[in-house]
Amino acid sequence: MPSIWDTIRTRRNNYRIRMEMNQESSGQRKMECSDVNKCFELLESILDGEMGDPGKEVLKEKLAKCQPCFEHFHLEQAIREVLKNKCTKQAVPNELAKSIREKIQEVK
Amino acid sequence: MSEVQRRKYSQEEKNSIFDGEFMPHIDSMYNFAYRLTFDEDDAKDLVQDTYLKAYRFINSFEQGTNAKAWLFRILKNSFINEYRKKSKQPAKVDYQEVETYYNSDDVDFQGTTDLRAESVKDMLGDEISNALNSLAVDFRTVIILCDLEGFTYEEMAKILDIPIGTVRSRLHRARNLLKEKLKGYAQHMGYNTDEEE
Repeated sequence: MPSIWDTIRTRRNNYRIRMEMNQESSGQRKMECSDVNKCFELLESILDGEMGDPGKEVLKEKLAKCQPCFEHFHLEQAIREVLKNKCTKQAVPNELAKSIREKIQEVK
Repeated sequence: MSEVQRRKYSQEEKNSIFDGEFMPHIDSMYNFAYRLTFDEDDAKDLVQDTYLKAYRFINSFEQGTNAKAWLFRILKNSFINEYRKKSKQPAKVDYQEVETYYNSDDVDFQGTTDLRAESVKDMLGDEISNALNSLAVDFRTVIILCDLEGFTYEEMAKILDIPIGTVRSRLHRARNLLKEKLKGYAQHMGYNTDEEE
C-alpha cells in the first residue's frame, strides 16, 4: 500500500509533467532551468562555436523551451558584441612596427 | 614532434614568414599586451620582445600552422616571466580574494535576470573596458583570447598550457565575474536592471 507521501509525490509529478506539456504545446518556455550552471556553460560553448552543428540543434531547442537559457543567450551575445566592438581598438603606436624591424636588422 | 626533421629556413624564407605571417598580427598583439600591462611603454616593450623572440626561434615555427596562436603564446609567457613581477599596475582589487572565491566550485551567476542585454548594449566603451580590466589576469586573459581575438578552446589551451576543460570552466567563471561587474556599472549608472518594464 503506497503511503500518503508517495501518493502526493506521484500527483505532484503528474501535475508537473502536465504543466510542462501544456507549456510546450502552447509554445511557452519553462521558467526554471534544472541545472542553470551546467546549462549556461554548455550554452557558452555553443556560442563559442565549440559544439559544431549538433550544438546548433541543442541551441535551437534550448531557446525554444527554456526561458533562463533564452535570456542568458541574449545577454551573452550582447556582451560578446560590445567586447568585440569596444575593447579591440587600442591604437598601436606608429613607430612600433618600425622599431621592431630595426631591432631585427640588428640581430640578422 | 617534427622538430627534428624540420629543416632550417633560409634567410629569404625567414623574412617572408616574419613579414607575411607574424607582422600582420601586431594590432592584436599590442591590444593583448596593453590589456595585460595597462601601460603603453610596457606594452610596446612586451610586443617588441615577443617579435624578437619569434624571430630568434623562427625555426621552431611550423609554416602553415597558426602563427597568431604561436605569437600569443610567446607573448603570454614573456609577460609571466618578466612583466608580471615588475608591472607598474598597483593592485586595484584584491586579486587573491577574487581568485579564491571564484575558484571554488559553487560559483553560479545568480543574477541573469538582473542584467539585461539592452543595458549591456547601451554601455560605453569605457565601462566595458574597465569591467574587463578589473578582472584578475587569468580571467581577463581567457576573455581576451576568446571574445576579442576569436581563438578556439583548443588554441587557447595551447597558448595557456592548460587542458581544454580548464579553458571552458575558466571562461565560464570569467564571464560570470564580468557580468557581476557589468551589473554593478548598470546599477550605478541607473540603467534598467530589474524586472520593471
